[in-house]
Amino acid sequence: MTDARPKRARVAKDGTAAEDGRAPLRFGDDPLLWAAWLYYEEGLTQSEIAAAMGISRPTVVAYLSEARDCGIVNISIAGDRLRALSLARQVAEHFGLRDCLVIPSDGGPRSLIERLGDAGAKALSWHLRSGDSVGIGWGRTTLAVAVAVPDLGLKDLRVVQATGGTTAAIPYTPEACATRLSEALSARMIPMSAPAIVSSGEMRDLLLQEPVLQEQMSELDRIDTIVFGVSSLRPNSTIHTSGFFAKALDQRDHYRDAVGSLAGRFIDVTGKPVIGSLENRTIGIELARLKTVRTRIGVSGGFDKVPAILAALRGGYINVLVTDAATAEGILRADGVEVRRQSLTRRPPSQPDRGKVAAAPGEVPQPDVKKLLNDPRDAVNESLEGALLAFPDHIRTIDGSVRAICRSRPAAPGKVGLVIGGGAGHEPLFLGYVGEGLADAVAVGNVFSAPPPDRIVRCTRQVSTGAGVLHVFGNYTGDLMNFEMAAEMAAAEGIDVRAVVTTDDVASSPASDRAARRGTAGNIFVFKIAGAACEMMLSLDECERIARKANACTYTMGVGLAPCSLPETRRPSFRLGPDEIEIGIGIHGEPGVVRSVAMSADDVADRIMDALIEDAGLDPGARVGILINSLGATPMMELGILNRRIRQRLEARDITTVRSWMGHYCTSLDMTGASISLVVLDEELETLLLRPCDGFGFRQG
Amino acid sequence: MTSFPNTGSGAMVRKVAQIVVENRGYLSEIDGKIGDGDHGNNMAKGFGRAAERIADDDTLDASFAILADVLMGEIGGSMGPLYGMFFSDMGDVVAGKDRIDALTFAAMLDAGCEGVMAIGSAKAGDKCLLDALVPAVAAAKANASLGFPAVLDAVRKAAAEGRDATKDMVAKIGRASRLGERSRGVLDAGATSCCLILTALADGIEPRLG
Repeated sequence: MTDARPKRARVAKDGTAAEDGRAPLRFGDDPLLWAAWLYYEEGLTQSEIAAAMGISRPTVVAYLSEARDCGIVNISIAGDRLRALSLARQVAEHFGLRDCLVIPSDGGPRSLIERLGDAGAKALSWHLRSGDSVGIGWGRTTLAVAVAVPDLGLKDLRVVQATGGTTAAIPYTPEACATRLSEALSARMIPMSAPAIVSSGEMRDLLLQEPVLQEQMSELDRIDTIVFGVSSLRPNSTIHTSGFFAKALDQRDHYRDAVGSLAGRFIDVTGKPVIGSLENRTIGIELARLKTVRTRIGVSGGFDKVPAILAALRGGYINVLVTDAATAEGILRADGVEVRRQSLTRRPPSQPDRGKVAAAPGEVPQPDVKKLLNDPRDAVNESLEGALLAFPDHIRTIDGSVRAICRSRPAAPGKVGLVIGGGAGHEPLFLGYVGEGLADAVAVGNVFSAPPPDRIVRCTRQVSTGAGVLHVFGNYTGDLMNFEMAAEMAAAEGIDVRAVVTTDDVASSPASDRAARRGTAGNIFVFKIAGAACEMMLSLDECERIARKANACTYTMGVGLAPCSLPETRRPSFRLGPDEIEIGIGIHGEPGVVRSVAMSADDVADRIMDALIEDAGLDPGARVGILINSLGATPMMELGILNRRIRQRLEARDITTVRSWMGHYCTSLDMTGASISLVVLDEELETLLLRPCDGFGFRQG
Repeated sequence: MTSFPNTGSGAMVRKVAQIVVENRGYLSEIDGKIGDGDHGNNMAKGFGRAAERIADDDTLDASFAILADVLMGEIGGSMGPLYGMFFSDMGDVVAGKDRIDALTFAAMLDAGCEGVMAIGSAKAGDKCLLDALVPAVAAAKANASLGFPAVLDAVRKAAAEGRDATKDMVAKIGRASRLGERSRGVLDAGATSCCLILTALADGIEPRLG
């Protein structure tokens, strides 16, 4: 940028009056930078820039050219841009792909296949992680990918040949592809020691009994990434040159409906498998298994392949597509999509498509909140996977889905089942309260969003032993609707379901309208007491009565110091002034009763305790359990400071604290703040509250 | 009376879904002002997934049934059940019909609206999706005798006015209701997505009339 000045002077001397284009002060006196910014960052047209800067259009053109010459603007085509092209984004959006790379269809002397290979190698390198197991198909393009992959420096990789071998008359056999890739990645290679097509079904069954082949086939269960090409069924396509159709009749008679093939299997226009004469003679990965692989990179281009690729996309076999522009357009058009024309001179919009709170005028835009995430869309599932691995003694999946979880040790027959659930983002709520003496199963929704009914029904079915099932969840519109539908569905299966809705947040509605209150950290007391009632083998009627009573005796109030941010937006979900706190805040950031200037811990504790004591009508002599809960980012240290004051207040009023809990029990992602919950105990509730329980979020002996 | 064919409506419903997906950021942004900012993401997830399973030549009722299944079965939250019932009950009205005329169209919207009201406890004026839907249904019924395309114009206009009216409302339902007066001055995300869907549907029907 330092050499910009003399050149700018030259522009001015051309008679195009640089002096007239007064740039706003923040750009200093550098019109080159200003013009380049408006053009490349803001996306204005040259005429708009001319008007904005008060200069002529030829001057703008000169400025932009200067800006490139002197290095203010660096035009480089980063690999990332291939996925940012509007065509790639449109394909990804339309087919719901994780990723899509589109390369130019005409690109100099190198063949399309070679260039697709480069792009495929890029896609693979973005999605591959140490420890992954990579399946690979075969064909010209697949080999081009294997050849183009650099050593990525990843550890503990495996490359698995996903199909049996083909005729050696071609250079791009499955063995060649797998070998090249494993060498490039310094990975262990697992071959498949059998032909892809054998002479008869009996031969295949015999071969599959061979231990060596069995062992190799079992490696297919481990792959988390697969790279493959998509073949058309034209005469010189890979599937033909590989010797799949020994007789022309095979294709005509059995594969009339097939439009393409991948991994040696055939699909029709809708992507459904076409089962023909080759099916029971084929050795290799099956389409149903292929569809469940985490990352499925399809690399394929060329206009003749449009129907085949489209079918593969419709069938869900590909979630990362690498193709060329003409093919991508063809696929979209063939699927009835209007192709958005992109301007080749303009950089794509820099704003990613995320829901963000727009900065108010005059406000400095905030950078994204830092979070430990991969793809934010996977955040809930990945978090649950990790929790399941961390606490195998407490929780396990019901049917393989991480969103429906039950306790590891089954409950005694004849026990009332307790199902809890709600949105994610409150961890260890809800899954930390699954275990002996607590809930039996939990249905998990998206972040701050209720789980769908089907999942709740699966939980209900799982924990039903004939004594009925209790649903306990927070009072939110979404939870009410989904649990209600689930209860109806379970009832239709003959399961007696009762629902108890938690309403402990005193800030959300006056005591006169208790039923309108939302359910927050006080949930924990209700889960604990209801769980104990169920564990004591009480009847469904009794368990329901006790859960209702526990809820009626529970009171919570929170305070927010700083907002949380959702994984998908990474933006603060609400705004608080630099010196503001929100008293009565909800666990999704719902505003509370009052915004006040920041105060001391004792003042906050007093403010909340005043409200709780009054609302609960706590008289001297009462016995309570208390929970001092962090909303996410507030440290234990500050909870201790709050608790000290809470106990002073309770003692001064001559109220006995039977037991207290302090820590992260019901969080709101990364919100800074805390909540205080009280449960007012009678003998029955006290006994149940103190009984042993064992959830990973709540354990007592 | 002009009408459009029931079969071959899949492409149109996929187009509606595509428009919802494209507006993901916008809907989330509106929602973020008084809600938790996930409306666009959830809607895009549901409509995007459903679009993958709808074929271009599907009937309107089959397309709506797929959409309803995905929204109700896989999305959760409050929008899953609400829009799930909306599409499921609309689909019931047109099932088995060869062609759909303005009267059937109005009856279809009416049934969808009833479905939403039956499952949720909200009503028009609460600052929710019903604020766009209820006036749109009323406009459809009032103008049904004029036939297509008049009824489509009436629906688009009423839905947009209903959506805009939520700006001055105080939320009475859902998470935003806890905001009280502070929810005023912002569009409701549900009403906005509802208007988007109704408009896209009307836009999709228009060229198919005959």
